[in-house]
Amino acid sequence: MRISDRRFALFLMTPAALFLAIFVAFPLFRLVADSFYKISPIAGGPRDFVGLDNYFRAFASEAFTGAGWRTLAYTLVVVTLEFALGLGMALLFTMLGRSSQIWRTVFMYPLMIAPIVAGLLWKFLMIDNFGLIGTLLHQAGILGNPNQIGWLSDPGIVLYSVAIPDIWLTTSFMCLVLFAGLQNIPGDLIEAARLDGARAPALLFRIILPLLRPVIAVALVVRGIDAARAFDTILIQTNGGPQSASETMSLLIYRTMIRFGDPGLASAMGTIYLLAMLAVAFVAVSTIWRPGKDT
Amino acid sequence: MRLAERTKHDGGTPATASAAPSAAAAVVPPRKRRSVNREGLEAGRRSTRTLLWILLAAAMVLYGFPFLYLLFTSFKTPIDTIAVPPTILPREWTLENYVNALGRSGVPASFINSIQTAIISTVLSLVLAVPAAYGITRYKTLSGRIFIMAALVTRMVPPVAIGIPLASMMGSVGLADTPIALSIAHTTISLPLSIWLMSSFFEAVPKDLEEAATVDGCSRLGALWRVVIPVVSGGIAVTAIFAFLASWNEFLFALLMTAIRSQTTPVVIANFQTQFGLDWGSMTALAAVYSIPVILLTFSCSARSWRA
Repeated sequence: MRISDRRFALFLMTPAALFLAIFVAFPLFRLVADSFYKISPIAGGPRDFVGLDNYFRAFASEAFTGAGWRTLAYTLVVVTLEFALGLGMALLFTMLGRSSQIWRTVFMYPLMIAPIVAGLLWKFLMIDNFGLIGTLLHQAGILGNPNQIGWLSDPGIVLYSVAIPDIWLTTSFMCLVLFAGLQNIPGDLIEAARLDGARAPALLFRIILPLLRPVIAVALVVRGIDAARAFDTILIQTNGGPQSASETMSLLIYRTMIRFGDPGLASAMGTIYLLAMLAVAFVAVSTIWRPGKDT
Repeated sequence: MRLAERTKHDGGTPATASAAPSAAAAVVPPRKRRSVNREGLEAGRRSTRTLLWILLAAAMVLYGFPFLYLLFTSFKTPIDTIAVPPTILPREWTLENYVNALGRSGVPASFINSIQTAIISTVLSLVLAVPAAYGITRYKTLSGRIFIMAALVTRMVPPVAIGIPLASMMGSVGLADTPIALSIAHTTISLPLSIWLMSSFFEAVPKDLEEAATVDGCSRLGALWRVVIPVVSGGIAVTAIFAFLASWNEFLFALLMTAIRSQTTPVVIANFQTQFGLDWGSMTALAAVYSIPVILLTFSCSARSWRA
């Protein structure tokens, strides 16, 4: 006997759904449950139910609110710069047309590099004393002294320095998505605007960007979520320092869990962080994908 | 003249055009004169093109330089590596760093762990994602719609939030510190992405294809396996590359879930920093050995998929 199409579709989806339920939903459930307990870091140690105490402690701690603001600032800087650079490169490739195809592929290479390697590499480029960037800027006459800018040692700028590898790694992604979007803009529309006397800025802001809006929105949301979770590159460059000036939420949760041995508090922080991400994602998804209309 | 007329028409309906660029593209009849539909943005004048090529060259140099510097550094002598002021090219080329890095205990084993973990995770992602994505796109049921949304939501979960509970789960079933446990963790990252990617590839397959197959006596599973999957093999390859890279380059789960036995190379690279002080030379050598094969592999795959 043939099973119905609906059953068949369900049968095809079940393994993946079970996998995600067991290995994502269940650990998440454990995380939320742990956030209501005071847990000893020693395995098999005491677990005391403390209600919302961990949440009060999280919001009362300066480390937590500070990490929240830093994560926000970091995400905004990364996404803004990536978007500007990615759009510039996508326009450049589009204007050069087919002949730039091979360079488009080469431009994708950072996407294949491990974030840990990228972080390490940029740390080496920006490090005090033997970092190459300070030296090159000094030799070019821009800096009076190669160590004038303490890229990774000055608490005032370190949050932006640690963002550089992230930007370097994923501008290619932004470029790839925007380039694909640009290919869907009918050439006639551009030519029409040109005939009407539109200059480059008008062309960009009045025609290209409005037409790309859905693509831009998707790219910004995807990258925004990833940037807000950044961990590897920051850990390897500064470990959150100096003086916690580059400690974002992922790092704070990690350190609270592992270094300070307070899984209950870390779980509460993780739960708040997750809820904030879900709220942002929900707003973004419901405005962009418009569930029910497509898919 | 024809052009001007059509462009007037297009210019007169900006609202519909901005709402659905693809629909606008479909309205415009394809023209034979030029092969691609993006001539509008493509620069025509020779002087403009020259300027653009110069810009591109500058961008490529700036963008490629960091990795080249990593390569150059890996061939420097230890003294050169931390010389003040630093030089771009090695004063003396040496393979010392490669010998040191690869000869260090745990490094060859970590490569095997990385390969094992990435392959298991890729296979697992594909086996789970291909049927699920097919079920979602072909039958368009309510459950499918809910599922693809749920899959997107799981992508937002920060790994640091589920890493520890996941590690203790694996420990309680005796899988602590194994490539299998880590590849399962990596699949939680790549599976939602794979489902999403595969759905977009299945979307492009005409429905008549498997209808013809079922008429010819194929079961639905048979039609999927023998007719649809060969058609989307290119998409499966792309998805496999994404899943492989996601696992190969992942660090946080690997840090939380592995000890000595199943440690992957990213963790070893990170450990160089604390364990061996400032051994930049070996670190860059190991990073180069870890990155280059994957970059070349991806490039050759994408080149092949273009030719196909």
